[in-house]
Amino acid sequence: MSIVDDARSGSGQASRGLRVEGLEVAYGGVPAVRGIDLEVKAGEAVGLIGPNGAGKSSTLLGIMGAIERSGRVLVDGQDLAGLPPEKVVRRGVALVPEGRHVFAELSVTDNLRLGAVARRDRAGYSEAMEHVVTLFPMLRDFGHRQAGLLSGGQQQQLAIGRALMSDPDILLLDEPSLGLSPTAVDTVFEALDVIRAAGKAVLVVEQRAEFTIAFCDRTFVLHDGEITLSLKPEDAEKVDVLTKAYFG
Amino acid sequence: MTGQLIQSLVDALSAGATLGLAALSIGLVFGVIRLANFAQAEIITASAYCLIFTWELGWFIAVPLSIIVAVAMSLLMEFAVFSRMRSANPATLLIASFGLSFLLQRVYELMFSNNVRTAPVASGLAQTVEFAGVRIQLLSVATIVIAGLVLLGLHLFLTRTSMGLQLKAAAADFRTARLVGIPAGRVIALSFALSGILAAAVAFVLTVQSGAVGPTFGVQITILALVGAVIGGIDKISGSLAGGFLVGFVTSMLATWLPQEMSNFKDAYVFVLVIGVLLFRPSGLLIKGRGVART
Repeated sequence: MSIVDDARSGSGQASRGLRVEGLEVAYGGVPAVRGIDLEVKAGEAVGLIGPNGAGKSSTLLGIMGAIERSGRVLVDGQDLAGLPPEKVVRRGVALVPEGRHVFAELSVTDNLRLGAVARRDRAGYSEAMEHVVTLFPMLRDFGHRQAGLLSGGQQQQLAIGRALMSDPDILLLDEPSLGLSPTAVDTVFEALDVIRAAGKAVLVVEQRAEFTIAFCDRTFVLHDGEITLSLKPEDAEKVDVLTKAYFG
Repeated sequence: MTGQLIQSLVDALSAGATLGLAALSIGLVFGVIRLANFAQAEIITASAYCLIFTWELGWFIAVPLSIIVAVAMSLLMEFAVFSRMRSANPATLLIASFGLSFLLQRVYELMFSNNVRTAPVASGLAQTVEFAGVRIQLLSVATIVIAGLVLLGLHLFLTRTSMGLQLKAAAADFRTARLVGIPAGRVIALSFALSGILAAAVAFVLTVQSGAVGPTFGVQITILALVGAVIGGIDKISGSLAGGFLVGFVTSMLATWLPQEMSNFKDAYVFVLVIGVLLFRPSGLLIKGRGVART
């Protein structure tokens, strides 16, 4: 059953969840993330918002093992301690990086093929490809096009598609709306809704506070590397809550 | 005049092809781990020594053995030295490769003495053939063919296989490649192995040309290859290849066409070209903008 079918039936396969305990990240002794605890369950979307330099991207990179970290990152109860990013992907966690970072000189299809390198189930490649192009039909139409020639919104779809090719249970996204038109942002978040409904755990870092709070099941506000506030979707339209979230 | 022009063009294509392969061998590794490996010279030298010492056993033993030696040495360098310096910046890695280069040159001196060792490696290629009234060195044609075959093989590997695709992705953006799930250790080892194969091809051509190998045999071509890689854009695999080819081609043409009293300084003109490129296109001729910053 595809991601799309899953979402339509509302079944949501039993996926794993992410638990972060006391995550700390520092750059040259300067702390960027100071002991964050959070949990994202299967079929749930959690947002991380906050001003620039709050530690949002560092949190995601710390979870991926791309930068040195301390604290515990648990996937399905198993600690990812000491694992490099490529092994974290094999444990079912995929990151859509800030700025998309598609392989610009390679074709769309090759980008997707690379996403499947870390699949735990190699036999499911064709099925995964079918799921991804069903979710983002543009990727089928432009399969042979160089990824660098796509628009920003199309590249974001490709970056998400590439991440999905590894069949992750947990999808991390770093500012997926960055630099995109409102229509492109809608396309991306509609897809994220489908992915969440399919039972994946989604952790999304964003700058668009109101939008993120409304979309996510829970949203945490990060300030100076610490979670200072937890918000629910109904808080999205409360101006005082948003002001407090950003300005303390 | 036309005959001389064709002859010089074939020679220049041959020189460009050799230097293109050498620059590509450096660019492949640089793309992945930001190492401009000066000790590539000693891989070429080791492979050339192997050809000299084993040629009398037959080319079908000597050539595969020289490739094996080059690949093994390239991988050994990675595991013994560079894998221990993963977080070092490119300047530190370059200096380490200088140190390794000088160390290996002394080792070769101790093992094989300072004198050159000789053998008639593929001496049949050292002839000149006449074709439609034009005299052409058989080795120049063979070099172009060898380079063409090696590049075709590399191209097929990079575009038709999953491992090749992973290497291309890692060379373009190593950090993202790891975040996508491409195993770092595997692609790094692969880049060193392919670099070794290219070094063996270069060693073969140079050994046939000179028939004599000493401890510093690979140094000069490696310096020019580094220059070529920088000119073309060491950040890109195709940039290194094109830059190396350009330097080889221009140097050979200058040697043929400059007046005798000026051709002694042909390398100086090449370095003027380098200064020009570094001033106006610091990322290389084939790189748009300033290239991709790596972390």
